[in-house]
Amino acid sequence: MSEQIDQALSRKYDAGFYSEIESETFENGLDESVIRRISEMKGEPEWMLEWRLKAYNAWLQMEEPEWAHVEYPKVDFQAISYYSAPKSMKDKPKSLDEVDPELLRTYEKLGIPLHEQEMLAGVAVDAVFDSVSVVTTFREKLEDAGVIFCPISEAVHKYPELIKKYLGSVVPRTDNFYAALNGAVFTDGSFVFIPKGVRCPMELSTYFRINEQNTGQFERTLIVAEEGSYVSYLEGCTAPQRDENQLHAAVVELVAMDDAQIKYSTVQNWYPGDEDGKGGIYNFVTKRGICHTNAKISWTQVETGSSVTWKYPSCVLKGDNSVGEFYSVALTRGRQQADTGTKMIHLGKNTRSTIISKGISAGKSNNAYRGLVQMGPRADGARNFTECDSLLIGDQCGAHTFPYIESRNPTAIVEHEATTSKVSDEQLFLCQQRGLDAEKAVSMIVNGFCKEVFKELPMEFAVEAGKLLEISLEGSVG
Amino acid sequence: MSQWLEQVIDNAQDVSDFLSSQRKKSLAALQEQGWPGKRAEQWRFTPLTSVEKRKAIKAKVTDEPAVPQIDKLDTIDLVFADGKLVTDISELSLPKGLKIKSLKKAGDDEQAAIKSIFAKIKPARHTFGLVNDAVAKQGVFIDVAAGAKIKPVVRVLNLSTQTGDAHTRVLVRLGEAAKLTVMEHGEGSADSLTTAFAEYSIADHAHLEHYRFALFTGKAKQIGGSHFKLGEEASLNSTLVGYGSELSRLDIDVWHAGEHANAKMNAIYLLAEGELFDLHTTLEHAVPNGTSEENARGIVGDGARAVFNGRIHIHRDAQKTLAELNNRNLLLSRRSLINTKPELEIYADDVKCAHGATVAEIDDTALYYMLSRGIPRSKALVMLNFGFIQELVTQIPKEAIADWLLPKLSERFSQMEVK
Amino acid sequence: MLKISNLHASVEEKTIIKGLDLEIGPGEVHAIMGPNGAGKSTLGYVLSGRDGYEVSDGTVELNGKDLLDLDVEERAREGLFLAFQYPVEIPGVSNMEFMKESVNAMREQRGEEPLTAAEFLKKAKEACKQVQLPLDFLKRGVNEGFSGGEKKRNEIMQMILLEPSLCILDESDSGLDVDALQVVADGVNSQRNDKRSFIVVTHYQRLLDYIKPDFVHILADGKIVKSGDASLALEVEKNGYAFLGKKYEESEA
Repeated sequence: MSEQIDQALSRKYDAGFYSEIESETFENGLDESVIRRISEMKGEPEWMLEWRLKAYNAWLQMEEPEWAHVEYPKVDFQAISYYSAPKSMKDKPKSLDEVDPELLRTYEKLGIPLHEQEMLAGVAVDAVFDSVSVVTTFREKLEDAGVIFCPISEAVHKYPELIKKYLGSVVPRTDNFYAALNGAVFTDGSFVFIPKGVRCPMELSTYFRINEQNTGQFERTLIVAEEGSYVSYLEGCTAPQRDENQLHAAVVELVAMDDAQIKYSTVQNWYPGDEDGKGGIYNFVTKRGICHTNAKISWTQVETGSSVTWKYPSCVLKGDNSVGEFYSVALTRGRQQADTGTKMIHLGKNTRSTIISKGISAGKSNNAYRGLVQMGPRADGARNFTECDSLLIGDQCGAHTFPYIESRNPTAIVEHEATTSKVSDEQLFLCQQRGLDAEKAVSMIVNGFCKEVFKELPMEFAVEAGKLLEISLEGSVG
Repeated sequence: MSQWLEQVIDNAQDVSDFLSSQRKKSLAALQEQGWPGKRAEQWRFTPLTSVEKRKAIKAKVTDEPAVPQIDKLDTIDLVFADGKLVTDISELSLPKGLKIKSLKKAGDDEQAAIKSIFAKIKPARHTFGLVNDAVAKQGVFIDVAAGAKIKPVVRVLNLSTQTGDAHTRVLVRLGEAAKLTVMEHGEGSADSLTTAFAEYSIADHAHLEHYRFALFTGKAKQIGGSHFKLGEEASLNSTLVGYGSELSRLDIDVWHAGEHANAKMNAIYLLAEGELFDLHTTLEHAVPNGTSEENARGIVGDGARAVFNGRIHIHRDAQKTLAELNNRNLLLSRRSLINTKPELEIYADDVKCAHGATVAEIDDTALYYMLSRGIPRSKALVMLNFGFIQELVTQIPKEAIADWLLPKLSERFSQMEVK
Repeated sequence: MLKISNLHASVEEKTIIKGLDLEIGPGEVHAIMGPNGAGKSTLGYVLSGRDGYEVSDGTVELNGKDLLDLDVEERAREGLFLAFQYPVEIPGVSNMEFMKESVNAMREQRGEEPLTAAEFLKKAKEACKQVQLPLDFLKRGVNEGFSGGEKKRNEIMQMILLEPSLCILDESDSGLDVDALQVVADGVNSQRNDKRSFIVVTHYQRLLDYIKPDFVHILADGKIVKSGDASLALEVEKNGYAFLGKKYEESEA
């Protein structure tokens, strides 16, 4: 039976196509002039350029991090193009009718129709194609509610005060190597602002697509939820199937003011490389949110793609009674490597955090949870509960857990538990005896294993995530 | 590179005995590794500043140090005073099947046995283990014949009374189905640095009962380790008690090299103001069907700092392993600090592994229960806090040892403030 | 000796006790019965002073002292003993050590010398025998790994040792078979005298066959809705709590 499971977990990567779109792409390489050109292309004000240059200079001083248990060929930062945009975007289209039809077809193929009338009601989409945002839907409806949802490049022009105030306020330019790089060269991303007391009337969502070869994607997302507001934000991502590795180094910053709530969900499906580990996206992402008094930030992620993932969506629980949550499913197969987890920094009194992490390893992949729970001396009565479960499918993979716990407060309580298990022959036999085929049975067991996390996802995403796991396990059993 | 390490490396050049070839290898590895940098994961939470700039000088030797006694316990004492073996081994009357030799007086056969253990069980990554390999001339070899069941406890003492460095080594071989109890006991508070490493080769079906009491305090710095290699169906029951000092670091490694071996390990640390204690443990399952269970509990007092790193490593072949690790901590004040990291590194799918770590305060319900019986709050808190470690003391197989230890811990605890 | 007037108490901002009056004389045994959720266990916790049980109104006097003014341990030393429905396990703290501390706390209150270890051991052994627990229970952690019945007997053993003036037995019969119930009841009955009073909280009449109450009160929705003698318990046994109205009838089904 386990041989059946072992059998090539060969998965079709449905999003692996390339679109022929005429693009304007910078030549490879990075120096100060490239940053000046990016800034110029975007017509940015002087302060933004200065901000980028500071990040760049900080980056030059920093050492590229190396992580235990993660192995991959080094990135050649001079062999990447730092800007690529469809030519049709040069004079930004005013409506969808002006958007290159090939672009629209690309998103349709990915199952993300951008025509508003075709969209499921209740979700507004910002689509980012290589380095630029191509379209943002439902903007007027959102504006009526006072919600700002636009490409960050546009926000730099339209809302400079907000950007100046919040950009880099959660993830400083100098935070880490990839955050500094992102600060220097980020090209687009989404900006969300929810005013005081407003419950955002629909789900907001951004779809990222890397299309061009040898380009890196460096998007930046900033979400600010003012006092007492609420927003649920989703992101999805795909890329063509290529033999070369491509770099994706994003930064996401969340600010939840007093009593605000931000729910941030990700379904990450970058191209994972082939069975032998050839190609695939390096997904090196910095995501962090800050919670003020009584605020709540909830990160939910389903990670099935990328050849190497390095990602720790974190919460700084600054305000008293604030809450941080992290729900994660990470599936690795082939030669994928995932090193993901979270940091919960408890600063305020009675702060609470919950971490539920489910890792599924198959093939020759390695899947690690790495997390930090920190209780500061003023975090009286703070609580953390962490549960990390690993499921191993086959005996060629690895599952690892590295939780760092630090406490300086005698009244804070930290609880961490981790277990490992496998899909047992008995479980499979039982399912099969009840008439299910082995593939369905494994998929059922895996879905059951992930249930706690899936229930945190917004409905449509839950369906999509379930499908992704199904595709991932397709052909894995006889 | 640290001044201390440079001097140690210099001094190591003139160490020459039957272990020279291994000593040279370790020295070369040490030179290559250099001083652990800030990024060295192994030393991430434990500042080495108190050693880094130290002068590497040998401690002067006291010939008749006061040896702590344990009532009602039959022991064979091997005493290292400030790094020098002061027990005349030839004077000891040893039970049949037990042989003890100092490294200096080991005969040809014993030299061969020692060579097969020395630096072969201890992982090579440890900077201070390499130092010990290179310079520890003072050491003992304890050898139990196959099938021999040794009653008295072999106690190896490291006593620190003088300023300076001490490096001692213990090598233990248990033959097939042999039984032995070894206690590694360190005490003292002089401005010293003791590196004390022990390697245990436990043959098939043999059983080792092991104690490591690391009771150095004050400025007595200790860096050491106990490293075990288990043969088929071998078993280990180990109890560790640590106080903290300016710098205290122990590494315990259990290596399952034979199938169906079993390891049980309990660790207690009780840290008072200004003390640091760092415990790194590894349960290494290299073969199938092994079982391991580890429980580590600590109380971190006001102004004290504890570091715990407990790793379970299951190799690709080690199917059907059962391994469990649990670390629980209590902090007594806002000036207490704990860094704990239980790690799982698993490469085999048909295994049951779990770990847990908690940092918590006293259970409210238990406190209420005690108050409802009229016990004063302060007393109840002390009983509950102390009960937390007492639970592990009561699991000690030898009653005489538990009876000796409990009042000692209780007294230490009573001097710590419980808020 | 105990006088409760117009007691109102809440847990997590939910009011559970809503104006309870009860007076208990020396040597009396009062049974408190009532449907699930009536506030029976809450009453014991409130009287013993458990954290999180807030008194918003009313007074409680024990032997002329304002009980509500005292901390948990002070109330215990005033002679209030609560036998828990679910006694907590305290691993690492031995039963012996635990009971010795509490017995000596009581003695100190009464101005008596603390017992020596030997004196205490003698007493403890007797009590242990009386509730038919093996002597090695004294060495084990408090309630650690005890069965439900053993925990209940351990509570009664503590009651015997502490010699309280008011004993509150919270569902001391729940989960016990007939033999265990007999042991618990014998323990309680042996402690009855003309000074010591009891509140026996129970859901079923069964326990009252063994511990004969002087008075029976029905607690519903945070108040005593009916009082009587032992015959009231039999009535409840026969007809359930139907007389309280439909709401309770269902919960009894």
